[in-house]
Amino acid sequence: MKNRVLGIFPVVCSLAMAAGVVYAEFKKGYYSPAELGSLRQAAPMQLLPDANYQVSAYPVPAVDLVSGDGLQDVQIYCNTCHGPRYITMQPPLPAATWEAEVEKMNKTFGAAIPEDNTKRITLYLQAHYTTDNRKQ
Amino acid sequence: MTMAQEPARGKAIETFTGPGANPHWNSVGPYVTEPQKVPLILLTDRPVQLETPRHYFRTAFTPNEAFYVRWHLEGIPNAVDLKNWKLQIEGNVLKPVVLSLPELMQKFKAVSLAAVNQCSGNSRSRLQPRVPGGQWGNGAMGNAMWTGVRLRELLDMAGVKSGSLMVQFQGLETGAGPAGFGSNLFLKSLDLGNPVLDECIVAYLMNGEPLPMLNGFPVRLVVPGYFSTYWTKCLTWIRVLSAADENFWVKTAYRVPDTPRGNTTPEDVKAGKVKMVPIGRLPVRSFLISPGGTSKIPAGMNVTLRGIAFSGFGGVNRVEVSDDGGKSWMAAKLGEDHGAYSFRTWEAAWTGKSPGRYSLAVRATDEKGNTQPDEPVWNPGGYLWNRIERQEIAVGNAS
Repeated sequence: MKNRVLGIFPVVCSLAMAAGVVYAEFKKGYYSPAELGSLRQAAPMQLLPDANYQVSAYPVPAVDLVSGDGLQDVQIYCNTCHGPRYITMQPPLPAATWEAEVEKMNKTFGAAIPEDNTKRITLYLQAHYTTDNRKQ
Repeated sequence: MTMAQEPARGKAIETFTGPGANPHWNSVGPYVTEPQKVPLILLTDRPVQLETPRHYFRTAFTPNEAFYVRWHLEGIPNAVDLKNWKLQIEGNVLKPVVLSLPELMQKFKAVSLAAVNQCSGNSRSRLQPRVPGGQWGNGAMGNAMWTGVRLRELLDMAGVKSGSLMVQFQGLETGAGPAGFGSNLFLKSLDLGNPVLDECIVAYLMNGEPLPMLNGFPVRLVVPGYFSTYWTKCLTWIRVLSAADENFWVKTAYRVPDTPRGNTTPEDVKAGKVKMVPIGRLPVRSFLISPGGTSKIPAGMNVTLRGIAFSGFGGVNRVEVSDDGGKSWMAAKLGEDHGAYSFRTWEAAWTGKSPGRYSLAVRATDEKGNTQPDEPVWNPGGYLWNRIERQEIAVGNAS
């Protein structure tokens, strides 16, 4: 009796496969637009036949900087010449490199950030954007 | 540089790369839509820096709306009034010249030239150790047919006084920094003795269309074979100098080690052993554009590998591909020749015979005999990367 059951099993299996061979799968995912990374199309611009060649204002998308001591100094001083994405775009950098970058802004580019604020900006960058501690 | 793409929940690309090398072909920023542009990869928004996604390099000419963007200062014009705008040739000249756009278009012979514009820092995110700066993948480059006026004709019209040393270029870009600093004006100069001046074009057309504002409307300097740092956008002042240009962007920035390939080490830089010179011509490079590793290829299927190659030292005359990571090479077929400074397309038929992972590699050689090496480059500015590119391809069972 036991032997007979085992003997029938492979036969049953091949019959089932012949009836419903899996050729493909058909999955759908339900994503929010943000998760999908979808972008709305830009609106067409109204162009006038005058001599002024104009485009829309350049967008300044918000940047998520880590919150912490010195963030306000970064937002006030660094933002004068460039957006904070100059920070987040960088790879994690050694602490000494961040110090050199801030010094470059003051000395080479003439940023003239007061000493206290310079120190706070450097410490902020070193606390959140180095090879040891960068998370976002 | 492999990475299949999936839009799945929580599986968006990482927001930054490092301290290792960026493993992706492009940089990892989000797509944004800027004026006159298709969605491009954002590096920074103030000033604007946008990278061209890989698939736009399937053709020899890069579409204007997908052409990468790199500005240095945050004051970027978003309106130019051609009633007022004039190109000025001034400084150490016999007779200063002021030209409107109609005068540029009508008084001079229009010339056209296909030329690659590549950012000095293209592929900076490959360097080890990583260096600060724009973390470009490979998409800070593009090729266009530039049409305009020969720079030489403009200089001759104004009459360069004897004893002049350099010619300086200034566009409409301005920054919030104090006067006299690099954060206030972006200025670049070339030596008057540099033969490239005879090849330079002041271009008012890009691929037969006006330049997008972000690429330098109404005119931009084209310096064939040279890195883009010299290709001043919204060019408005051409200034002949009787002394060397001491401004930051010439004297300090965009300098590379005076060594083979501009290669050095952090230790040698620290020890003060490295002599730096202005960056110049584009070293030979080539890229595999498709397949890009986003799809699995069935074993035994004969697919077409496609890409581009270029060199600033003379046209590319050989492209080779490898499917064993660079041990053995076979010649690719070159596409139409659009001139020595253009992208040259190439293609090669390839079959992954059995399932597995293949490392495809591509290398180009230019007519001066320069071949892409397989060694990395490092210098403090993150310039001149031209190592052989690789792409991992997954070949699946076909049955």
